[in-house]
Amino acid sequence: MTPWTRKNNYVSDLKDRFRSEPYLLINLTLTGVILLVFLYSGFFSPVKDNYPVVCIHEKLTGEPCVSCGLSHSFSLILRGRISEAYDWNIYGLRVFIFFAAQLIMRIVFSVFYLKNADSNKQLITYDIAVSIMLFFVSFLPYVEWIFNQALKILD
Amino acid sequence: MEDFTTNTGQNQGQPSGQPSKQPAGQNLGVAALITAIVTFVIAVIPCVGIIAMIPGIIAIVLASVGLSQASRNGAPRGVLVAGLIIAAVATLISFSQIFVAGRIGDKFQNKWGKDIENVIDDVQQNVLDELENSNINIKVESDGNKVEITTNPDKQDRHQELEELEKDNTGINDTLDKKK
Repeated sequence: MTPWTRKNNYVSDLKDRFRSEPYLLINLTLTGVILLVFLYSGFFSPVKDNYPVVCIHEKLTGEPCVSCGLSHSFSLILRGRISEAYDWNIYGLRVFIFFAAQLIMRIVFSVFYLKNADSNKQLITYDIAVSIMLFFVSFLPYVEWIFNQALKILD
Repeated sequence: MEDFTTNTGQNQGQPSGQPSKQPAGQNLGVAALITAIVTFVIAVIPCVGIIAMIPGIIAIVLASVGLSQASRNGAPRGVLVAGLIIAAVATLISFSQIFVAGRIGDKFQNKWGKDIENVIDDVQQNVLDELENSNINIKVESDGNKVEITTNPDKQDRHQELEELEKDNTGINDTLDKKK
């Protein structure tokens, strides 16, 4: 077997695993989605203020919501202007860290999954647990705000 | 715990490079789970949370179709159930935001509506007050004849007029008999 054939076999095996194993496929797609989020933040400029996504909540109610200015905040963080990002949205940085952490986790966990076939189940359990924890830590202010708004309306 | 590693042994023994056959509903399950996760993240961002209704419903439909296929063929359903649950919760969060936004909008509308009504009432009252206390001057000209009527419809003047009229007609009982 020539090195070329061996390499070809390895690539086709990898392709086969990605097709047949949902975990890898999910990781790959989510990586793409997170990269799109970063691309969006990098493409649109906070100076030109040309963001296509507007706050629907503000449009409907006339009141600003807790996540207003998140796009600005993300763009500023990507450009290294952290203190300005805080001014736009105080929770912007923690949400940005969540996305960045998820991007790294998707890649690292996929590599571990491919290399250690014996501990795959354990790896997925850790992944789910860490992701849920990170999600709630990052999005807690938003979840709290939604919950409080609903409570206010019910009162 | 969901078994994402399940390969169901369907591509074992196959020569590499050949596409492996997926268990029924597996692709739909993966699509539903990815859509559901993305929907969940969108749903908890209040600015765009309302939009999450659309992918949420899509994820529910995908998971439901996948579940029916999987149950017909006896294929594993873990991914599908996970997708369905996450999508349902995300759609609920998104729906709650529509409800909240709608109610806040109604509140604003009611507040503004009341303000507008109050302004109209005030204006109406002012106009009536001014009319009551103003001098009315009517001039009629016809074929060289001029008639000019000037009145000062002050409340006090009218009260005096009424009192004078009552003094003249004190003998006439103009009250209605309530017993009849």
